[in-house]
Amino acid sequence: MDTLAYESNAREAVAPARARRELDLELRNIRKRYGSFTAVDGVSLQVEKGQFVCLLGPSGCGKTTTLRCVAGLEEPDDGGILIGGKEVTRDPPWQRDIAMMFQDFALFPHMTVAKQVGFGLEMLKKPRAEIVQRVNQVLTSFEIASLADRKPASLSGGQRQRVALARAMITEPRILLLDEPIGALDYSLRETVMLELKLLQQRTGISFIWVTHDQNEAFSLGDLVVVMNHARIEQQGPPEEILQRPATAFVASFVQGNNVFRGTVKEILAGALRVETPVGTFVVPRPMTGSTPAPGTAVSFSVRAELITDALVERHVNRLSVRCTAVEYFGAVRRHIFERSDGEVLKVDQFGAQAARIVPGQTVQLGWAADAGFLHAVPSP
Amino acid sequence: MSTIRVRSPASYWLAAPAALWMLGVVVVPIALLVWVSFWGGRAFSTSSPLTIDNYARFFANPVYVKLIFGTILHTVGLMAVTGVLGYCIAYFLTMKVRSPLWRTALFLAFIIPFWTSTLIRAIAWVPFLGVNGVINQTLMFLGATQSPIEAFLYSRTGITMAQVSLYTMMAAGPVVYMLNSIAPQWREAAMTLKATPFTVFWRIVFPLTLPGVVIGQVLVFLNVMSDFATVATIGGNKHALLPNLVLLFYESSQHRAASVVAVLLMLCMLVGVVIALRVVDIRRLGAER
Repeated sequence: MDTLAYESNAREAVAPARARRELDLELRNIRKRYGSFTAVDGVSLQVEKGQFVCLLGPSGCGKTTTLRCVAGLEEPDDGGILIGGKEVTRDPPWQRDIAMMFQDFALFPHMTVAKQVGFGLEMLKKPRAEIVQRVNQVLTSFEIASLADRKPASLSGGQRQRVALARAMITEPRILLLDEPIGALDYSLRETVMLELKLLQQRTGISFIWVTHDQNEAFSLGDLVVVMNHARIEQQGPPEEILQRPATAFVASFVQGNNVFRGTVKEILAGALRVETPVGTFVVPRPMTGSTPAPGTAVSFSVRAELITDALVERHVNRLSVRCTAVEYFGAVRRHIFERSDGEVLKVDQFGAQAARIVPGQTVQLGWAADAGFLHAVPSP
Repeated sequence: MSTIRVRSPASYWLAAPAALWMLGVVVVPIALLVWVSFWGGRAFSTSSPLTIDNYARFFANPVYVKLIFGTILHTVGLMAVTGVLGYCIAYFLTMKVRSPLWRTALFLAFIIPFWTSTLIRAIAWVPFLGVNGVINQTLMFLGATQSPIEAFLYSRTGITMAQVSLYTMMAAGPVVYMLNSIAPQWREAAMTLKATPFTVFWRIVFPLTLPGVVIGQVLVFLNVMSDFATVATIGGNKHALLPNLVLLFYESSQHRAASVVAVLLMLCMLVGVVIALRVVDIRRLGAER
């Protein structure tokens, strides 16, 4: 090859271009205001090809507005949106390579299932014969072929969900946007549908952006979980990272199974900090990245419920005496609720298969290892 | 058995007053009208033989037959104008006016004229349309015309203008109702499926408002077909439609001829309503969601 001479130069020039091309979606500092209310504030996000992204947060946190900005249903006041490397910030929805599934499915009430599912292909001006064939194929693969001539009013929730999904997927968009797609389904149906959607996403390689307030959905589905609060992204990363290393006190308290402690740094030890809180003084590992807070700084940290135990050994250097108020049994885990002396609750999980050891009303000495805590980069106010 | 008892005796008793009223003021008079229209012979009495002579005489006169078609044509033209105008107004009110205050204000502005009677509103058009009327004076002031246009008053144009203003809101009202029942996410879903705004309107919004359009058209059709007052005031005695013929025969005590025209008018209306029901099942209005 005679390009050898240019190799190093060419590589530098090509690398960023390729990196951009690989992204299905890029949000650059999106902002959206409604009057004095800021719905989305400086949200940046990069979605790689075929990624399953979950936007997670409490209601009103801006996750749906972010999704609607991607769809083109809302125009951001500021910032840029790139789909497949192409700037689309000011493009209307019908010019974007996306499809969307709405919270209540938004099926057209006057169209039969077959007409409905074929609508996207009709809009792409496909020949009639091809539409009929594709619709039949898709209806069969979604197991709704028998409903082809029915109208939405006569369908059950699960059937509507399938029709909505088939309608969105038939055009094979680059990105599928899903706004609480299974929130309207019966609880028993959700797990099956979640698994089906995950498999569908893996099979098709279409990027899914899934908005939800349900952390079970987010953590079991997402390759990337984006936790939002008050119009901002609090933390984004793989589920493991968010569960084990919450970046902020909000994420720690929002994600189930964390116990949040607030206090001030008392002294700095080798690889750890001693933090004084209203309920005791505890040893917390130093942050893996960033600077170590100086003594006297207000900090917060969290300890996962399954890392706290009543079977104390020497390495459980952090100790706390609390009274048990309730025990909840979920099968896989047994959750104990304790009353902390500062009025907050402490949650401790035990494997469900083990025998119950603590009963409500009992006061127990609990503890956790020095490396079990995780210091937040942004402490709670 | 359901707790809601459809066939409880109470429901029949509740319906009885209205049923009696309808029987007395609608069913019996119509039956009488139809009966009278078939009375033959010279004397005007209940012992008259029943013949179709009255109808034969009516259809033998080409002026009268032409009047039937003229009335239908006039009505269809008016339905088209009020339909388009009414839809535009309804679309503007529900889809474009965002502030609830403005929406209420505009809606009231459209509705308030309806607080006066149709007859008064028809008469109110005379000073507008006349040779020295407001429209002509404005046109002349603006220099759009040198001499006043006489075609406004005592003309088919004037009648149409007045009736359009009288009946446009009848066409718009049901459309407003139907447009309000269209969920925004249906339009949004269509847009994310690559439909342009025009396609969204044509494939989603319009089909879903069709029952409202049809009801509006039925209201306009029935009202225009039976509107003799506007035609009489704005059209003077130069123009007449089928209902004016009823009035004419009635005033000249030709009760049998009046009955014939009334029956024919009712038949025309009935056919119109049946056609409308074939297009859209009005009884299922709003059930499809």
